[in-house]
Amino acid sequence: MRDLAKQLVMLVLVAALCLTGCGKKEDTSSTAKWTIGMSQCNLGEPWRVQMNADVRNAADQHDDIKVIFKDAQNDTLKQRSQMEEFISAGVDLIIVSPKEAVPLTPVVAQAYQKGIPVIVLDRRVLGEKYTCFIGADNKKIGKAAGQWIVEKLGGKGTVIELKGLMTSTPGQDRHTGFREGIKGANLEIIFEADMKWLEPNARKEMESALARFETIDLVYAHNDPGAHGAYLAAKAAGREKEIMFVGIDALSQEGRAYVAQGVLAASFEYPTGGKKAIEAALEILNGQTVEKEIVLDSRVFTEENINDGGELLGQ
Amino acid sequence: MSQLLKSPKSSWLTSPTTRALGALVIVFVIGLIFNADGAFLKWGTHRDMLRAVSVYGLLACGMTLVIITGGIDLSVGSILGISAVSFSLFCIHFSWPFYIAIIVCLLIGLACGAASGLIISRFNIQPFIATLAMMVFARGLAKWISGGQKISTAVQQADGTYEYVPEPAVFNFINSKILWDNISVVTVIFLVCLLITAILLAKLRLGRYLYAIGGNEEAARLSGVPVNAIKVLAYAMSGLFCAVAGICQASQELQGDPEAGFTYELSAIAMVVIGGTTLRGGRGGIGLTLLGVLIIGYLEKILSINAVGEDKRLMLTGAIIVGAVLLQKTKK
Repeated sequence: MRDLAKQLVMLVLVAALCLTGCGKKEDTSSTAKWTIGMSQCNLGEPWRVQMNADVRNAADQHDDIKVIFKDAQNDTLKQRSQMEEFISAGVDLIIVSPKEAVPLTPVVAQAYQKGIPVIVLDRRVLGEKYTCFIGADNKKIGKAAGQWIVEKLGGKGTVIELKGLMTSTPGQDRHTGFREGIKGANLEIIFEADMKWLEPNARKEMESALARFETIDLVYAHNDPGAHGAYLAAKAAGREKEIMFVGIDALSQEGRAYVAQGVLAASFEYPTGGKKAIEAALEILNGQTVEKEIVLDSRVFTEENINDGGELLGQ
Repeated sequence: MSQLLKSPKSSWLTSPTTRALGALVIVFVIGLIFNADGAFLKWGTHRDMLRAVSVYGLLACGMTLVIITGGIDLSVGSILGISAVSFSLFCIHFSWPFYIAIIVCLLIGLACGAASGLIISRFNIQPFIATLAMMVFARGLAKWISGGQKISTAVQQADGTYEYVPEPAVFNFINSKILWDNISVVTVIFLVCLLITAILLAKLRLGRYLYAIGGNEEAARLSGVPVNAIKVLAYAMSGLFCAVAGICQASQELQGDPEAGFTYELSAIAMVVIGGTTLRGGRGGIGLTLLGVLIIGYLEKILSINAVGEDKRLMLTGAIIVGAVLLQKTKK
């Protein structure tokens, strides 16, 4: 019994040590006029690392703002307390990319009602108590991918869908959007599996699909690592030339790189909105009003247009 | 297996090896029945399954050593992550010769494992706690050296543009298949490490010491076993295997992902335990772990080729783990 208690105390100590290590990045040396708090829900994902990098790069262009970054490490309650820290520190504006809508709505509203403008980035909160929402539309992107695929395959063919986490909204939207986009065409989805956004899983699932089906025309994966994992499986089987691979996200070092290297036929951009958030923040801080809802434009990158910065998707 | 020699009272029918083998046969028969239009009958499917489990199997090798001493190593997935990131960094960004990159990665893994072992033996801290700390620390280290981004063949230049470098030859070799495309190189690496572990456990004095420590640490100490040193060695070996796994993982993904190996420790522990090595230590063996690796590998493969949905997959996996462990439970 005493051993157990001792273990528990140690566990708490270790956990506390781990927790205090993060979120201390205050930079007091600058002479910025405004301080912006940026609360990121999870820096474990490259896409979100990119979002922070976009915010940082955009902010670096302006001497009158400085940004304090906090990472909630995929923990809703941690993100809530980080928001509370921003409120009590009295930052001039908060950018939040929330992990979940419901549990973070009250703290966003609290900041908003205290007069701190809040920009909600990528994922939504409920209600109206925030200054502005910036995000892209996964359903639209999935639909565009579906339509592009139908056109590319000439309206018929066999397709594999490697899904992200189907319990997450991006996964659901990229799925339903895609199905909407291919409606009416003679495409057959011969295999679908949940690869949980992860490349090694996508490779495993693709190996299974390759073992089962002699002809596969195209793989549609809900993110670029998934499409890349599928490509690696096909390459190992010597079948990568006969299959096209399409992914989503188009990060410069991932999807766009894969397209440039001829690995993916196309990658659909899911923009981070980092730059747009800083633009909106400056407008708000300068007393201008911004639209309550800003939907980001998305681009498609293919072999033909990769060197020209991609092509804007039709509205 | 050593259990056969250790418990002469139990017949071969109730030995852990037979039981694990039984579980494997059951899973295999399920595969034959639900063969997904004959996909299960192709050698390629089995080869791919062996490729997919090799990285987990490598972790399970080290985990077996640690569990036999009565410990546990939660840091294996994170050490795999550091190794994958460092290997990619060394090979792609630094253009080091592959053998130097491999040696340095192995040393990093060894050092991480030895650090856990030292904390456990010198300060008498529970393995669960010490390796939990290493798990968190090593993940942080992997993210720090990679800047949170995957280390891939798209190398960012000073002006922010990307230059695409060809993937290192060593990546392509480890990612390839040999023997007329019949077996993946990573599987061979796994089997070699498995063999090393088997020799270590069965033939070397070190192996007997590991069992002795797991059986009764105090008795082992009194009979002259250098308990602390052996424990450090066990965790260091585990770290070493994690580094090998990381090298294999990076080569297969053609990049170093700082998130690589996340939650892999759970699979590794499950493989060891399903094989029949007890978490209490002192009993078990690497042959059992191989059976555990194959059981989980086949299970995942069968669910995958039949395109079973994620929800049902998780429920079935949970149920089958319980089933396999129940099969292992000795009747009094």
